[in-house]
Amino acid sequence: MRILIADDHDVVRAGLRQLLLERKGWEVCGEASTGRQAAAMAVELKPDVVVMDIAMPELNGLEAARQIRKSLPKTEIVVLTLHLSDQLAYEIINAGIRGYVLKSDANRDLVNAVEAVGMHRPFFTAKVSEMMMEGLRGERPRDGQSEARGRLTGRQREIVQLLAEGKTSKEVAVALNISVKTAETHRANIMRRLELHSVSELVRYAVKNQIIEV
Amino acid sequence: MNRVLVVDDHAVLRRGIQSIVRAWPGWEIAGEANSGEEAVRLNSQLKPDIILMDISMPGMGGLEATKIICQQHHDAKILLLTLHDSIEWVRTAFQAGARGYLLKSDTEAELMRALETVVANKVYASPRLDSARVKSIVSDLGLSVSAEMLPSSGTT
Repeated sequence: MRILIADDHDVVRAGLRQLLLERKGWEVCGEASTGRQAAAMAVELKPDVVVMDIAMPELNGLEAARQIRKSLPKTEIVVLTLHLSDQLAYEIINAGIRGYVLKSDANRDLVNAVEAVGMHRPFFTAKVSEMMMEGLRGERPRDGQSEARGRLTGRQREIVQLLAEGKTSKEVAVALNISVKTAETHRANIMRRLELHSVSELVRYAVKNQIIEV
Repeated sequence: MNRVLVVDDHAVLRRGIQSIVRAWPGWEIAGEANSGEEAVRLNSQLKPDIILMDISMPGMGGLEATKIICQQHHDAKILLLTLHDSIEWVRTAFQAGARGYLLKSDTEAELMRALETVVANKVYASPRLDSARVKSIVSDLGLSVSAEMLPSSGTT
């Protein structure tokens, strides 16, 4: 089993590496410290499983997972988070992620999660499974902005994160290899679609929807 | 050999720290704790040279544990490890008795630099923090410092 690890903290990656390498036959084929790096390394390395933090700079784990699942449908993903909310559980499932582990439970659950998704079987804790069932019953969390978020494209969600992290349109353009004019057009479209009027409102939206963490 | 007590409520993070420390010549793990309460107890029992402790833990957090340990052992050397990069947290940490403030986003090499600095009885703060403001806090608290003990450049 070839595993790619993505977390922006060296100490966490070291712990994950130790944990995963204890299992015979498992190999850590690469390590990434941002979501963008993880998505690029996944395409290059084609791992069986990506173990990824949700809260990462530049591109968060959810968006990276969406990109990886799109370009590598056979690669499975296990995400790690500090906390879980109903909205996040919905987003995780919606991104095509089949494994979810709380960071506090990683020592106990991660190996089982990687083993399960490696066989293309889902691994969710009882709490997430319960949320999934509620989602199937039509009880998934809804509010105006999360509905609006569903209407954003993947590229627009990337731009929301970069802007919320304090990057200018020029810096967004450089990060995504697009023109400044295109970045500004995206920015205007996002603000209009989300009915936001300032960067501070955009930051609040990004925090509320767990695109960034503070 | 420097012996370090590792305190964090996340086992995977303790495991990561241990693997980094063990790979560094002259360092070994004295023990590990998953809460502030356990840190206070194990510090008295194991007498480590330095404690590396998370701030945010369920129950007794790292700041409260730092205060208690420093009351019990005036020469305790405590390096706090945290996600909080606010300068006010730095002030609170040093006031509690910590002598080092490291961010979880810092590198493995920085972790070892921080341990080496604090165990040598010097004050340490992450290079990601605003060095001028850190120096001002350290000076306000009357701590003895020299230039190399603090970040050379502030980035945030």
